[in-house]
Amino acid sequence: MTSLPGGESGVAAFRAKLLAAMTLVVAALTLFGLYLMERSVVRETQHDLQLAFASELSLLRTVRYIRHGSLAERCRALVRKPRIHAALEDNALDLLYPSAKDELGDALPPGESPGDATARISIRPRFYRFVDHDGAVIPPVNAPEVGALAPDEERRLTFTGVPQIQQNGFLIRSGSEIVELIATPIISTETGEAVAALVAGFPPVANERGQTGLHTGLWLDGKLHLPSLSEAARLALENEVPGVIARDEGAATKGLPVMVDGAEQMLFVERQNPGSMFPAAYEVGIFPLAGLLARQRDLRWDAALAGALLLALGVGASFYISARLAAPVRELAAVSQENRVLRERAEAALVVKGQELERSIRFSADASHQLKTPVAVLRAGLDEMLARDDISSESCEELSMLVHQTFRLTSIIEDLLLLSRLDSGRLHLELSPVDLTRVVETCVDDLRLSHVGPPLDVEIELPVEIQIAGDMRYTMLIVGNLMENARKYGHPGAPIRIVASESGDAVSLVVSNQADPIPQASREHIFERFHRATVGENIPGHGLGLNLARQLARLHGGDVRLLRSDANWTEFEVCFRNASSLPAETLEVA
Amino acid sequence: MRLRNALAIFTVSIVLVEPALSQALVEGHITLPKTRHAPVANKRYEIVSTGGVLAPYPPFAVVYLEGRFSLPAGDLPVQQMSQKDLAFVTPLLPVRVGTKVEFPNLDNTFHNIFSFSPVKRFDLGRYTSEERPIPSQVFDKPGLVTLRCDIHEHMRGLIVVLDTPHFVKTDADGRFKLGNLPSGSYKLKAWLDSKTTLERLVELKAGSTLRVDLP
Repeated sequence: MTSLPGGESGVAAFRAKLLAAMTLVVAALTLFGLYLMERSVVRETQHDLQLAFASELSLLRTVRYIRHGSLAERCRALVRKPRIHAALEDNALDLLYPSAKDELGDALPPGESPGDATARISIRPRFYRFVDHDGAVIPPVNAPEVGALAPDEERRLTFTGVPQIQQNGFLIRSGSEIVELIATPIISTETGEAVAALVAGFPPVANERGQTGLHTGLWLDGKLHLPSLSEAARLALENEVPGVIARDEGAATKGLPVMVDGAEQMLFVERQNPGSMFPAAYEVGIFPLAGLLARQRDLRWDAALAGALLLALGVGASFYISARLAAPVRELAAVSQENRVLRERAEAALVVKGQELERSIRFSADASHQLKTPVAVLRAGLDEMLARDDISSESCEELSMLVHQTFRLTSIIEDLLLLSRLDSGRLHLELSPVDLTRVVETCVDDLRLSHVGPPLDVEIELPVEIQIAGDMRYTMLIVGNLMENARKYGHPGAPIRIVASESGDAVSLVVSNQADPIPQASREHIFERFHRATVGENIPGHGLGLNLARQLARLHGGDVRLLRSDANWTEFEVCFRNASSLPAETLEVA
Repeated sequence: MRLRNALAIFTVSIVLVEPALSQALVEGHITLPKTRHAPVANKRYEIVSTGGVLAPYPPFAVVYLEGRFSLPAGDLPVQQMSQKDLAFVTPLLPVRVGTKVEFPNLDNTFHNIFSFSPVKRFDLGRYTSEERPIPSQVFDKPGLVTLRCDIHEHMRGLIVVLDTPHFVKTDADGRFKLGNLPSGSYKLKAWLDSKTTLERLVELKAGSTLRVDLP
C-alpha cells in the first residue's frame, strides 16, 4: 500500500478515479444500449411498415388475383363454347359476335355506358373483340353491342399472330380510364392450334387510398397513371420509376425512398404482366413515410429519455458505490500507515541487532585469538617453572594445577573460536565416509585417559561397520562431548552405554548412563550457550559442549537430542547420515 | 380372292341384271386411309379431326355418282341422326338434297344440336328425349354440314348432302357396289373426308358392270 502516499489525499484520489471509471463504464453501457435501441427502433418500424404495406398490398393483390382468375376463367369458358368454335371453324364469322353476345348473356346489357360501373369489383367486360389468326381484329357486326373502341385503341388489342396462352395487359383509354386486357387464345378442337383470340377489356379493381396511405397506379408505355397524385408529383415519380424498373426488372422490390410532394415516400414497383405479349405494365405504389418517421422520432425521444434517466441512475449508483468502496480503503490506508511505522521500527531494531551480533561474533573471534597467545605464553612460563629443580613439591603441585587450568582455558578458547566460526557461517565441513566404530573407540580411549577415579565401565553396542557422512575431527568432537557429559554427570561407577543403530539413511548413536534427571524446566535450555544444568553446579565445565555438539551435528545433516531423562537414566542421541547419502565421487575418494 | 370376288359379282350380276337389263352397275374399291387398329365389329363410329380435317373413324367413304338425273318424284324417306351416350349414333350420314333428317335425343340429358355450316345453319335448341315432334331439319342444299352440340362440345356429326339419288357407303375395307345406274357419262366421286373427294369420269353402259378402283 505504499502506492497510496499521503493517506487522506490518496484515498480521495482513489475515490475520484473509481467514480470516473464507473461513470465511464455506465455511460458506455448506456450509449451502447441506446445504439442497440436505435437500431432496433429503425428495424422494428421498417419491419412494421413493410408488414403494413405488404398486408395492404397483398389484400389488394389478392382481390385482383381472385378477380383476375375469375375473369380469365370466364374468358376461357367463353372461348370453349361450341358456338364460338363453330363460328370460327365452320366458316361462320358473321355468327361470331352474336354467339359471343348470346353466350356472355348479361355481359354488356345494351345502353350501359363505360365508366358507369359503381361496383368496386366488376367482372363485366367494357368491351371485347375477336382477333383472327393473323392478329387482325375481326370487325364486330354491331360495335356498340361489344363496346365501342376508337381505332387506335383497337390497334392496341392486337399482336402479330395469336398467343398460345392467355395474355394480360393494360390499356389507357381517353379520360385516363385504365382497362385491364385479357387475351384468351381460341384453340381449335380440330387442329389443336390457336385459330383466334378473344381480347376482353375489364375495368380494374378500383384502388382507393387505404388506411396506410398507400397509392397505387400504373406505369405503361413510359407514363405513370396515378390520378390521386398531383401533376408535379406524378412527373417527379415518372423520373424515378424507370430506374427502379431497370434495377430489378420489376421483381418484388424492397422499396426505394423518394421525395414526393415534399414528403418522403417509399416507392414500390412490380410488373403486372410478366412475360406478356402486351406492353409491359408495372404497378407503382407509393407509401408515405411521414407516419413512420414520426413514429421513429417519438421512439427515439423515448429512448433518449430512458437513456438519460438510466445514465443519471448509473452515475448516482457509481457515486454511492465508490463512496462505499473508498471507506474500507481509507481504513486500510490508516492501518497500513501504522503497520509501516511498526515495520520501520522493527527493521531498525533488526539492523541494530544484526550489527550487535556481528560485533559480538567478531569480538569473540578476536578475543579468542587474542587470548590464545597469552595462554600459550602462560603455559610455557608455568612449564618452565615446573622444570626448575628448586621448587617445592607444594609449589610443584600448584604449578601443575595452573598448567591444567591453562589447558582448560585453551579448550574454552578453542570452543569459543569454533562457535564464532559457526555463528559467522565460515565453518564448512568436508563430509566423507567416517567409520563410526573407530570414532567411538577413539573417544572411549580418550575418555578413559582423562578419567581420574574408579575405572570407567563403558558398554559399546555397535553394528560391525557403520560408515557415516562426516568430518572426522568434528564427528569426534560431537561424540566426545556427549561421552564427556555422560562421564561428568553420571553417577560414579555407573556404566556408560553407547548404542548405534541404522535406520535407512539415518544413523543414530545413543549415549546413555545413570544420572540425576534433568529438571523439566531446564530441558529446553541445555542446548543453549553457556547454560549449565543446576544439578551439576559442582561439576567443572563451561556450558558450551552441548551447544557445540548440536550445531556441529546439524552441520552434518543430523541433530543432537535429549531422548530421555528420568530417575537415574539419561539418554542423548546424536543422528548422523549414512555415508551412502554422500555424492558418488566422495565415496570413491574414501 | 379377287377371282372369288369376280365370280361372286358375276353370279350376282347375272341374278340382278336379268330383270332390268337397262341398268348399269359400278363396283370397286376405294383405298381408305390406313388405320392403326383393325376395325372391331361393334366398334362405334365417330368423327375425328386431324389437322382440321374431319373424317369418320374407322374410315369409310361415300361413293356417289354426279350428274343430272331425273329425280324420282315422291317423298324421300326421313333419315335419323340420333344421339346416344353423348355421341351421334351414325356420325356420318349421306343424304340426298331435300331429305328431312330427324335428331332424336336418346340420352337422359339435354342436347342442343346446331350447325353453323354455310350449307345449312340451324339451331334446334335444348331438348330432351321427350321432345315431340322430334326436332328435324330438311337439307335442301348440297354440301357438308357439321353438327355440334352446344352442351357437349366434343360431339361432332357430319351430314353429306348430295345432289344425287345414287350414293352408297363403302364397307370398312373400302369395297362398294353402286347399282341401278342409268347409262351415260358421269363423274363417280368418293367422299373420304371434309377436305378429300376423289373422282373419276365413267361411261356407263346399260346392262354392264364397271369396275372402278380409286385412286
